[in-house]
Amino acid sequence: MSRDATVQVQNPWLDRLVLVLLILMAAMWLIPVIWIVVMSLKPNAVLMRSTAGFLPIPFTLQNFTDLLQVSAVPNWLINSLIVAVAMTLLTLIVSSLAGYAFARLDFPGKRIIFILVLAGLMVPEQAVFIPLHTMFADWGMHNTHVALTMPRVAVPIGVFLMTQFFRAVPRELEEAAELDNASRFTVFWKIMLPLSLPALTTLGLFTFLHAWNDFLWPLVSATETDMYTVTVGLASIQGNFAQTQGLGSVMASAVFASLPVVLIYLIFQRYIVRGVAMGSTR
Amino acid sequence: MASVVLRDVTKRYGDFQALHGASLHIEEGEFVVFVGPSGCGKSTLLRMIAGLESITSGEILIGGERVNETPARHRGISMVFQNYALYPHMTVAENMGFGLKNIGTPKAEIDARVAEAARILQIEALLDRKPREMSGGQRQRVAIGRAIVRKPKAFLFDEPLSNLDAALRVQMRTELARLHQTIGATMIYVTHDQVEAMTMADRIVVMREGHIEQVGAPLDLYRNPKNLFVAGFLGSPKMNFLEGRIGEVGEGRVLVDVGHGAPLSVPVSSRIDPGPVTVGIRPEHLKLAANGSGVLTGRVDVVEQLGNSTLIYVDLGGRAQVVAEESGDCPAHVGETVRLAVAPAAAHLFDGRGDVIPRSVP
Amino acid sequence: MTITATASSSLAERRETVTGRREAWAAYLFLAPFLLVYLVFLVYPLFKGFWISLHDWELVGSYREYIGFLNYEDLWYDPIFWLTVRNTLTFVALTVPAMTVLSLALALGVSRRTRTHGILRGIFFASSVFSVSVVTLIWQMVLNGERGLIAHLLRSLGIAPIDFLGHPFWAMPSMVVATLWWSVGLPMALFIAGLQQIPGELYEAAELDNASRWTVLRKITLPAIHRTVILVIVLQIVLQFQVFGQALLMTQGGPADRTRTLVQNIYHTAFRDWQVGYASAMAMLLFVLMFFVSMLQLYIGRRED
Repeated sequence: MSRDATVQVQNPWLDRLVLVLLILMAAMWLIPVIWIVVMSLKPNAVLMRSTAGFLPIPFTLQNFTDLLQVSAVPNWLINSLIVAVAMTLLTLIVSSLAGYAFARLDFPGKRIIFILVLAGLMVPEQAVFIPLHTMFADWGMHNTHVALTMPRVAVPIGVFLMTQFFRAVPRELEEAAELDNASRFTVFWKIMLPLSLPALTTLGLFTFLHAWNDFLWPLVSATETDMYTVTVGLASIQGNFAQTQGLGSVMASAVFASLPVVLIYLIFQRYIVRGVAMGSTR
Repeated sequence: MASVVLRDVTKRYGDFQALHGASLHIEEGEFVVFVGPSGCGKSTLLRMIAGLESITSGEILIGGERVNETPARHRGISMVFQNYALYPHMTVAENMGFGLKNIGTPKAEIDARVAEAARILQIEALLDRKPREMSGGQRQRVAIGRAIVRKPKAFLFDEPLSNLDAALRVQMRTELARLHQTIGATMIYVTHDQVEAMTMADRIVVMREGHIEQVGAPLDLYRNPKNLFVAGFLGSPKMNFLEGRIGEVGEGRVLVDVGHGAPLSVPVSSRIDPGPVTVGIRPEHLKLAANGSGVLTGRVDVVEQLGNSTLIYVDLGGRAQVVAEESGDCPAHVGETVRLAVAPAAAHLFDGRGDVIPRSVP
Repeated sequence: MTITATASSSLAERRETVTGRREAWAAYLFLAPFLLVYLVFLVYPLFKGFWISLHDWELVGSYREYIGFLNYEDLWYDPIFWLTVRNTLTFVALTVPAMTVLSLALALGVSRRTRTHGILRGIFFASSVFSVSVVTLIWQMVLNGERGLIAHLLRSLGIAPIDFLGHPFWAMPSMVVATLWWSVGLPMALFIAGLQQIPGELYEAAELDNASRWTVLRKITLPAIHRTVILVIVLQIVLQFQVFGQALLMTQGGPADRTRTLVQNIYHTAFRDWQVGYASAMAMLLFVLMFFVSMLQLYIGRRED
């Protein structure tokens, strides 16, 4: 009996086997990425002959410098940056304001409005992208940053997350502030917002990542090459890889397109993973 | 500083009547404690004074002014919360100065007043700390400091010591009492702990189920409880209650048979008829009696030696048990049969509704 | 989608304050910015989408004719529509179970709080931050019949390389693999969050009871996270049903329309064929379908409470 128990607590062989399997799996996740990065560092002419190998030999940064000088890629990066930052800021502002109202203020119709807002979570992007397209066409606003930004600000997930967060803040804090002569807005601005900084960070990161990787809507709204986001732009240069001569340039574009999100992921991994937990435990 | 007046204040949540017509006049500079078991409405009443709950009917006056419609932030009162409610992202100094900043007080004056409050509470060394870097007792001081800084018309305390450990609670109790003497402000204090009420209050307001049961100075309530509830609530260990019968009615005195010994002769000031009564005797009025004397006989069940006193739990037979408080060196032993003497003048009589039957002053 | 249940309960505990009546206008001010955006860019388009679907409506120009539910009727007889529905269902049927099992297995493997496991977690989640066009680019290269990573591998083993994406059988599984690689991170993180909420005492008790690892997994772990399992499955169904970029970029719907998906068909119908009304009808059907799947989760969640 005790023998069985110890086998279970330790069971080093099973643990080691699992670890080896996990490391093999992790290699499957890493190797394609490494390979792409390596290709982006090789001359196009070399890649024409062979794409094999995991070492950037001969090494060159030509692909990157070329892209920066003569391609539309810098434009795309700037578009993505503008759209992602604007979308993030707007989402944070409207979500925290609305979340606070739902969590802490009393007003007629609160319940029904909240339910109607939450129902918006069930509307997939595909259900609205055609009418949105006709609307922006009517306004003559396609191929603008506004058109690329606004539709996603309407997604209520941020409102939901902020409502949940504000509800968890002890009421006494607000009451103390109320007795400290704080107006409603002061309570929100000086107490609730600073307290919600971690939640805002998480929401902001997710919004930024979504904005950066948005595909369907930018694909139909931005039709001029100069207004592409980098995600759409990268899609536009994916042709037949068997024949393309600028393979290194394509790979370098992909590296450019991913660099910002990968950096954000590396820096803020903690917030991002916690955000998933935050969204799931309700 | 201001007086606080309640006139027939009620509170109703839907069908639930949380407060039934509370009326009270709190003088300027008075320390009043609302005490009662949880759910008695004491916190609700405090929050209504603060402006955190609306008033269903009646009126509240602060400094002679009706404040029913005044929002909390314009009532000019401070409150210390049970969980301190310090702003976690602000330093101690910012916490304390927040209220003044909100009304546009010049920075120099804020600093001066924060420094003054910090001096009174001896938290000068903590001014740059954040709440999470402090102990419970320190947070409590900061919360009090935040209240002082604003020089409010009245201080409200909502069970401020209940999250502290026992030793700290005793210490903060005396400090609060001293603070009251120092700044002489009107203070309203809510607690469920009758010891806090007894030790700090100028006047105690005992509440139960939305009613004010009795209002008075601590010793007055202790000596002359108006009913069974107040008698049982104040004092530790609790007052002993025995079921009894008034047998013989004499001039200014009645004989009460409690069924466990000789009848008690209790002085009363009004005329009453024979019938069932409840007899209340505080433990300190029950003493071990020498053989042959005493009125109650029973078996010692538990002996608790507290050092300065000894609590003797005595089974009287049936379901009745009483506690006697004896001196620290009392020689009682579990299992032995003892006789307890009662000072008849110290016994309280309560009628069938639980109201006290007035005693004549001996 | 998982949300309305909590919403109602905590909205019920209302506070009556002195300022209660004045609070209302402040609340509407706080709400106004979001509600405005929400109404203009989500609620109105939803209704407009339905309105468009009742028309023969062309993308460019002003030709629009009210035709009632004719678009929906046409869908019934449209073999391409049914083909894309079947392809999409196939994709969902392959992806969702694989994703659920894989993410749960990875979560079980990496949920321990050690440094090594933390790094592994980071790696499996990392691919989720890529955009769809980066993922399709990577996997097009990896699977390429001549210059691909797998082609190199097969050649070195003496096997003739396969053009996976152009292959009638392999094209769909290729998309599934790329999708698994891309988005296993999120369900894995959900499972990890669920696993880490199981009290450690349960496992200790099971150990004292002599339970094998397999028994522990079946009798303790899975029951404890079964809500997360439901959540993951529903989220995955909703998400994978909307598969678009992978098909558009990796296979262009081919070969022979075998990987053409529903959303891709909507996109083509609206923006290549300019038949906005007809495309909207498909979009509305997609919406209704997704709505019911989400409601199903809500229903299951409610029933268990």
